[in-house]
Amino acid sequence: MSYFALGERYQHGQGLLYRVDPRVKIVIAVAFAFAITVVHAGHWQAFAGFGAFVALAVGTSRLPLWLVLRRSLIALPFAAAAFPLIFTKPGDTIFTVPLLGWAASHEGLVHVGSIMLKSWLAVLLAVVLTSCTRPLDLIRGLERLRLPRVLAGTIFFMYRYLHVIGEEGHRLMRARDARSASGPDGGKSGGSVLWRARVLGSMVGSLFVRSLERSERIYAAMQSRGYDGTVRFSNERRLARRDWGVLLVAVLALGGLIIYARF
Amino acid sequence: MVLPMPQLPILLHIPDGFLSTWVATVFYLITIACLAVAIRKTSESYQESTAPLMGVLAAFIFAAQMMNFPVAGGTSGHMLGGALAAILVGPWAAMVIMACVVGVQALVFQDGGLAVLGANIFNMGIATALVGFAVYKAVTGFGNGKRPFILVGTFAAAWVSVMVAAFLTSAQLAVSGTSDWGIVLPAMLGVHALIGIGEGVISAGAVAFVLATRPDLLGITPDFGDSTLAGEHVR
Repeated sequence: MSYFALGERYQHGQGLLYRVDPRVKIVIAVAFAFAITVVHAGHWQAFAGFGAFVALAVGTSRLPLWLVLRRSLIALPFAAAAFPLIFTKPGDTIFTVPLLGWAASHEGLVHVGSIMLKSWLAVLLAVVLTSCTRPLDLIRGLERLRLPRVLAGTIFFMYRYLHVIGEEGHRLMRARDARSASGPDGGKSGGSVLWRARVLGSMVGSLFVRSLERSERIYAAMQSRGYDGTVRFSNERRLARRDWGVLLVAVLALGGLIIYARF
Repeated sequence: MVLPMPQLPILLHIPDGFLSTWVATVFYLITIACLAVAIRKTSESYQESTAPLMGVLAAFIFAAQMMNFPVAGGTSGHMLGGALAAILVGPWAAMVIMACVVGVQALVFQDGGLAVLGANIFNMGIATALVGFAVYKAVTGFGNGKRPFILVGTFAAAWVSVMVAAFLTSAQLAVSGTSDWGIVLPAMLGVHALIGIGEGVISAGAVAFVLATRPDLLGITPDFGDSTLAGEHVR
């Protein structure tokens, strides 16, 4: 996974969701992630309802299905945190792991399965959000959702210079690799693990000094052009009728799903 | 550009679905309260230079997290950076920076969930900055700010900050009923006790570099007065 290939999460397309205001999409994705947490373990019908919601989002985005599925695997490593519950949650034993003698309970399996399903569905919707919204539109959306201006401005600058600083970091890594850190076939060379960590530390320190000095130059250049501390975002767009429609449908659907899941 | 090696996982970016509604909500509220204070304090210190300065430094932390060193068996380690940021620019500015890093990672790169974002920012950005800064100040204060104490203090701050983040993550998972205290706590603390050594050595190495090249930056807020032209700092 490479963070330096920024913007690649955005997948150009023509679906309806592409034309919906980023604010609406962010609110729906966050609301969905919260809404699905209220579902009790093992309430499969409720999960099916949330799944239908995700399917609707994927459908209206017209994103390639394989792309959405492939990107949704990102949270999988974290499953290790929930996995032991299969064996520790008391309940009817379904099977016992040979040699180790761990007993898997029905309740444990249902519980872990529900956690995985919640996580997967929420990640799927987040994948749809980031795949059909340009990163800069996401950041502008945050600003228009009344995020404090200082924070929105900071995120804006961070995104603007992510490429620049990232490239600089990448050059440092390439220079190091050329000199010492990795041998052929991914082997290591040049000192112990701690030595290698310290070398990386020097590189991080160097990157910090360069970044700070760059930020000073940027600030001076901005001051000379009349910057007064307010980051201005252009194109203040009002929500169109389509945006309100999508928001209304999503809120009603999520509200209904929450009520169905809990009552 | 694809980084050549798989990174040693720092299992601190909680995905959605792993925290209960209450835990996620409570940590959102705590995080918003902490950030409100941090934003006010940072804006007071840096005035109108806040957004450009903090933004570029957030990009720095983001990039620093992507830089790695080979550990063993084809894996590599990298840093989290909360404690280092707090040592370099102070705890309040560090909170703002880390909140932006963790927030963008969740929203744009899907590293960490959206409903659990409050918890993730608190664990990786706010707790690491506060605890890391406190440990650093305690050690350097004890040693009157001499170089060895600065480096030891940085190492200790970074190690403790990773352990605190791991503890908070485990506690949130356990309280949410997603994991058992008895399993998740020793596992997470055990793994992160080792990862924390990497964090500590990288952070101390970074501070050693800054001490050697720009000692004025440590503990001193950069002067952005009108008389200071950026050119003076360019080497």
